[in-house]
Amino acid sequence: MIRSIIPLIAVLLFFLEPVFSLFSPVNIGNDSYTLVPRFVIVYLIFIAVYYSRKHAFIYGIVLGLLYDMYHIDIIGLYAFLYPLICFIATLIIRQIHRHIVTVMFLALLLIIVLEVLSYFFASLVSLTSIGLDEFITGRLIPTIIANSIFVGMFGWFFKTLIFKRVIERQGETL
Amino acid sequence: MPRFFSNKRLILLLVGVIILVALISFSLKDRQNASLPEQVVKDVVGFGQSLFSKPALYITNVIGNIDGILNTYEENKHLKVRLSEYASGQAELADVKAENERLLEIVGKKDDLRVYDPVQATVISRNPDQWEEKIIIDKGEEHGIKKNMAVITANGLVGKVVLVTKFTSTVELLSTENRNFRVAAVVAGEKTYGLIEGYDRKRSELIMKRIDSSFEVKVGQKVITSGLGGIFPKGLLIGEVTEVSTDDYGLTKLAYIRPAADFSLLDHVIIAKRSSIVEGTDGDGSADTEGEDGS
Repeated sequence: MIRSIIPLIAVLLFFLEPVFSLFSPVNIGNDSYTLVPRFVIVYLIFIAVYYSRKHAFIYGIVLGLLYDMYHIDIIGLYAFLYPLICFIATLIIRQIHRHIVTVMFLALLLIIVLEVLSYFFASLVSLTSIGLDEFITGRLIPTIIANSIFVGMFGWFFKTLIFKRVIERQGETL
Repeated sequence: MPRFFSNKRLILLLVGVIILVALISFSLKDRQNASLPEQVVKDVVGFGQSLFSKPALYITNVIGNIDGILNTYEENKHLKVRLSEYASGQAELADVKAENERLLEIVGKKDDLRVYDPVQATVISRNPDQWEEKIIIDKGEEHGIKKNMAVITANGLVGKVVLVTKFTSTVELLSTENRNFRVAAVVAGEKTYGLIEGYDRKRSELIMKRIDSSFEVKVGQKVITSGLGGIFPKGLLIGEVTEVSTDDYGLTKLAYIRPAADFSLLDHVIIAKRSSIVEGTDGDGSADTEGEDGS
């Protein structure tokens, strides 16, 4: 039962991301702030940390490829970035305690890494010409704030769900 | 310190990276036409996406309606004043239209750059990593959409179609940083032609370039599409002039234009299918000389 829920939520989040990005950019006064929903990667980080790296990689590659083909028409960018982020997550989590709060902060940290990497790539292929300071104030910080709300709301839910799946799997192997 | 990679994994990783770099460079090279697997993915994901987007848009509409009801009294007072003006304007418009039709008939002119066939579409998603200003709509080849068609809202021009699959199409918004995005424009009621080229992020305004310096452009004038680019119909509102200056070389004038349409929170758009289509500046316009043709 829970076995099928885990990929289902990944797909659900994949479809919810563009719905939320319809509300962006947010204009406050004269400045516009771009909020980038990064729900899928948060979920993948939770899977990588609590469940299994292999599953996180597979979901990352599949969803990354779909993301590339559907949204940005540059195949291979997110198909590479998603598993890379999951890999970094597993490297870091070996060194620190898997408390829910630390995992949440880890997720936020890795969103920053992902945003910066995608910014570098976008500047490299000249999709954007914004400077580093504009990137940080107009995009990175609003994104982090918006995503921290998401992580705070659903982090605990993801953790309990994935734990249930881990317990279920242990039951299967016994 | 544990070893992160065994030899086998290292090779696997390297092969993976090579494949990805090859894929990225391949897809960067030809971004105008989607390959068959891409089209299939776009259609399938687009269908799933519309299942999520449409209810979400419905909910935002309901909230918008509630918001509208709260302002009803004020608005009603305001609109009643406008209504009398509207009625006389309407009568005049009908008269002028009939007159225009009659005159066109006398001249024997069949193709009109203004005539277009509107296709209603719903926005199903916006590119979530918003490096490019792209939205995806739920109408595609099957509904007669073609590349480079103009996309408008009730307020004015918002962008053009850049990629078409069977059931979806990708629209690039006017607020893009893409240098190849040009729209042949004209100041309404005058002969001041120019090209909308580029978007000033800081001011959130469009830049109209290559205006002949002998023409006078005033702040507050409306700018519309000229229809000379080949694909966009004539007379779609783009925006209002806010500032006029000369360009970098001092040869032509440059105007900043506040767009009439709002590029955020797009939900329903209209695709303008012009009846007579010719290749021109509205296309990809690789050579700059093509741009001169429009002005």
